[in-house]
Amino acid sequence: MSIQTEPSAARTSAAATDTRFSPVTRVSGLLAVDATPDFGSRTVGDAALVTTAFRGYENILAGRDARDAVFVSSRACGVCGSAHALASSLAMDMACGVQPPPMAVVVRNFLAATECLYDHPTHLFGRAGPDFSEAIVRETSPELWKRAEGTRAPRVGYHGYATVAEIMAALTPYSGIAHRTALAMSRIAREAFVLLGGKYPHPQTTTPGGLSATVDTQDLNLAYLRVTRFFDYGRQVVALWDDLTDFMLEADPRYAEVGAAPINLLDLGLWDDPYAYDGSIENASMWGGQRWSTPGAIVDGKLQTTDLLQLDVGIEEFVDRSFYDEWGSGMFAIDPVGNPLSERHPYNKRTIPQPGRVDTQGRYSWSTAARWNGHPMETGPHARLWISALAASQPHTRFIETTGSSVRLHVPSGNMPAGTVEWRVPDRLNALERNRARAYALLHAAVVAYENVVIALDLARSRGSDARIFTPYEIPRDHVVGAGYWGGGRGAITHHLQIDGRVIDNYQIIGPSTFSGSPRDGAGTPGPCETAIAATPLVTADPGERGIDVLRAIRSFDLCMFCASH
Amino acid sequence: MANVAGATTSNGSGTVHVFWLSGMSCDGCSISMIGATTPSIEDLSLASIPGVPRLVMHHPMLSDDAGSDFMQAYRDAADGTLGQPYVLVVEGSVPDDQAMDGAGHFAAMGLGSDWPRSRGSGVAAEQPVKTSDWIWALAPGAVVTIAIGTCATWGGIPAAAGNVTRSMGLSDYLGKDYRSTRGLPVVNVPGCAPIGDNFMETLKELLRVGDAGKTVLEFDDLGRPMWMFGETVHRHCPKAGYYEEGVFAEEPGDNQCLVEIGCWGPVVLCNIVERGAINHMGGCMVAGGACIGCTMPGFPDKYSPFYKAPPGSFISGHASRTTGAVIRRLRRISMANGNREPLWDNAGDVASGWGLAAAISNPTSKVNSFFYKKLQYRGTVNHAKRNKYQPLPKSRDILRQKGVDLEASTPVLQEHVRTREEL
Repeated sequence: MSIQTEPSAARTSAAATDTRFSPVTRVSGLLAVDATPDFGSRTVGDAALVTTAFRGYENILAGRDARDAVFVSSRACGVCGSAHALASSLAMDMACGVQPPPMAVVVRNFLAATECLYDHPTHLFGRAGPDFSEAIVRETSPELWKRAEGTRAPRVGYHGYATVAEIMAALTPYSGIAHRTALAMSRIAREAFVLLGGKYPHPQTTTPGGLSATVDTQDLNLAYLRVTRFFDYGRQVVALWDDLTDFMLEADPRYAEVGAAPINLLDLGLWDDPYAYDGSIENASMWGGQRWSTPGAIVDGKLQTTDLLQLDVGIEEFVDRSFYDEWGSGMFAIDPVGNPLSERHPYNKRTIPQPGRVDTQGRYSWSTAARWNGHPMETGPHARLWISALAASQPHTRFIETTGSSVRLHVPSGNMPAGTVEWRVPDRLNALERNRARAYALLHAAVVAYENVVIALDLARSRGSDARIFTPYEIPRDHVVGAGYWGGGRGAITHHLQIDGRVIDNYQIIGPSTFSGSPRDGAGTPGPCETAIAATPLVTADPGERGIDVLRAIRSFDLCMFCASH
Repeated sequence: MANVAGATTSNGSGTVHVFWLSGMSCDGCSISMIGATTPSIEDLSLASIPGVPRLVMHHPMLSDDAGSDFMQAYRDAADGTLGQPYVLVVEGSVPDDQAMDGAGHFAAMGLGSDWPRSRGSGVAAEQPVKTSDWIWALAPGAVVTIAIGTCATWGGIPAAAGNVTRSMGLSDYLGKDYRSTRGLPVVNVPGCAPIGDNFMETLKELLRVGDAGKTVLEFDDLGRPMWMFGETVHRHCPKAGYYEEGVFAEEPGDNQCLVEIGCWGPVVLCNIVERGAINHMGGCMVAGGACIGCTMPGFPDKYSPFYKAPPGSFISGHASRTTGAVIRRLRRISMANGNREPLWDNAGDVASGWGLAAAISNPTSKVNSFFYKKLQYRGTVNHAKRNKYQPLPKSRDILRQKGVDLEASTPVLQEHVRTREEL
């Protein structure tokens, strides 16, 4: 399928505007998609992702005391409600030259992992899942429903649903048991989070130098007992999505084209090695490579690099099609360790909002277009697994093994006996595989949370200096820079800051959806979700012309427009 | 009998719509709301609480319908043709984008073609409709309007110094004369993010049919539910005892009162330490985080820089250090006495294999104990006096009496035992 980079002439008149996806619901933030499904040719063609909110966080942060960085920037997004606070803490660690003690690093890891334990079920059953529920499938595809009723679910032993139709019934919001269980489990994950984070979203214990958390054995035990409940649950979720995905692909192979996109994936890694992370940019390549999930970029299915600093210098933001003015030239030709930086790199970027009418041939989004080495990149839990699998360079842990083509998760026993669950790199990237990877990412996060809480319990008992949670730091008086490379449930996050005289001079945030949900860039290349929509065939009969396949494609990205535009 | 929505049938059921609008928001309030359990969104959507009508939630993060199908109900509500009562919930502050007519938006949902015709021509059919337009169109017809979170209630971070959107809270936008159809000004449930249960409980209470006839809900002078925001968070803080004894955290992670590392709890109205963040777990100071005043109208500018001691703590901190030092020592004496079973006082030794505990028998403690008891039993009987005449149990130390070989017992490893530090 060809992808046009500019809207066709027929689309320019106001009357042609399609109202089906304005707004797109069951995404986070305010998003409209300008796209017109053609039920005659059963294609979509061009799409424009219109982010319809801007709040001015970067402008508010500049000029504030640097101590405000973490708690103000956290509020940019309440859906990955701690990822920004932690990314900001890492940026401040770097700017202030402070190394948090090992306990602080593992508790930060624990917070990031339990956030995923809330976020992944929320996406799978609250955002993506309803599109495969009985209510929707019956309405949009009675034949598919009939087939589902007659198809036994092979993994019934794990999830308990005898047929695919039973799975679909369980996905129906509120009345469906899988939907309600996801709500309940996401709350348990949040309980584990707030024991050490204080609240969620917007944790109150985040700080440069570690955490402001009183970590005691009782908290860790309460957290431990919540995390271990995700072993059985994660395996149920994996089995459910495996059965559902396999069923859809067997029912009609064209479902593999829904949301299909080039395999361009970016992740900055997540979960630091407590004995490797020192917060410095000089050692960033080293500690980045030691993360539980490996940083990296994949272009056209091939791994390009796993070096955190090479990933950083490749990041650029374009505002050609966004509601911002160009900022001219920046002040950094090189990064602090001497790598050349583009004028479009976040260290050089300034935020100059310029509201205007939505014009899909001109400026149309409040999101900038974030690119890596010029490529539109997807980010998300599928990218996280994919990169770790291909790199196969992640340090050995008791529970995760990367093979070059898969990620093996050795899941401890719950009510189910211990067992190995393997996510294999799929042949292609599409909506169903994004969702399936997310189910595996839930188990991935569960074993990371578990391993980190076990380390924290051991550290707490050691009573040594490694058990401290905070390293005192000073904000330097001179001009310093720092960057936080981190991630949330829906993918990679960067915070780049410059401090002058202990006051924030420039603060730049890129959220996962600044990559995944970006508009066209200066070259007219669409963002990843725009490309995926354009490639989507209208497979489902969809007599009501909801555009259900387009919605499935969009929702598989788990976009968050408040992350995309600040 | 009627609830504030007036939407009930004779058995107290019925349907109420909720229209959710996002302005200068981060969706964090929605995430909090979905985490709530008392009641939960599934409770309200499935109408499983007696006396509370079924809620139909129109929410961009939750609804099945998208696009104009989704906007249809908003349009009907604004046109007055919905046919059922509705609640308006606003998340995020309101940007000052009304004056930008035709030249953009700061927050928008739906297209001009979705705009209710009864409300004027609105914007061009293919352009987004501003959240601020939906708010003025929907607020007058709402049975109640709730601002969720500190942005919608007071302005919050999008209204902080340096903002380019000139954002404001909902009450500033609608004006102080605004009343819902049931006569209520904007109900404010602040917090950044708010405790989800604070919002859901408020919503439920506004919609519940009281069994005892007309029920009155109390709000404070800024429209906060009084039963939740009536007290400072410090009064219920688990670390308030440290403050009283004059012991303060010196750096993040310390267990003591957090005032000197930047906690504003003594002057902030919030209930998070008693309610917890979710299911009675967590809460800022419970987990060791300092209060930054995120429920308050002055947040963030009047409570920052963060991680810096509030000026007021200089006087109150010194005062509590002075008195606390005395109180703390007196308390330790009482505590030490109460930490011993009377039998141990009689026997002159403590039945603990942990090796460090000693009976209290020094002359100072005896004098202290004498005067302490005088006060304790003044005006009543000293029942504890009889302990002195109580014979020691004959079977005390039974293993030794039975001749079980205890010589082999090893001393307890010292790393298992921690001496109770005198604070």
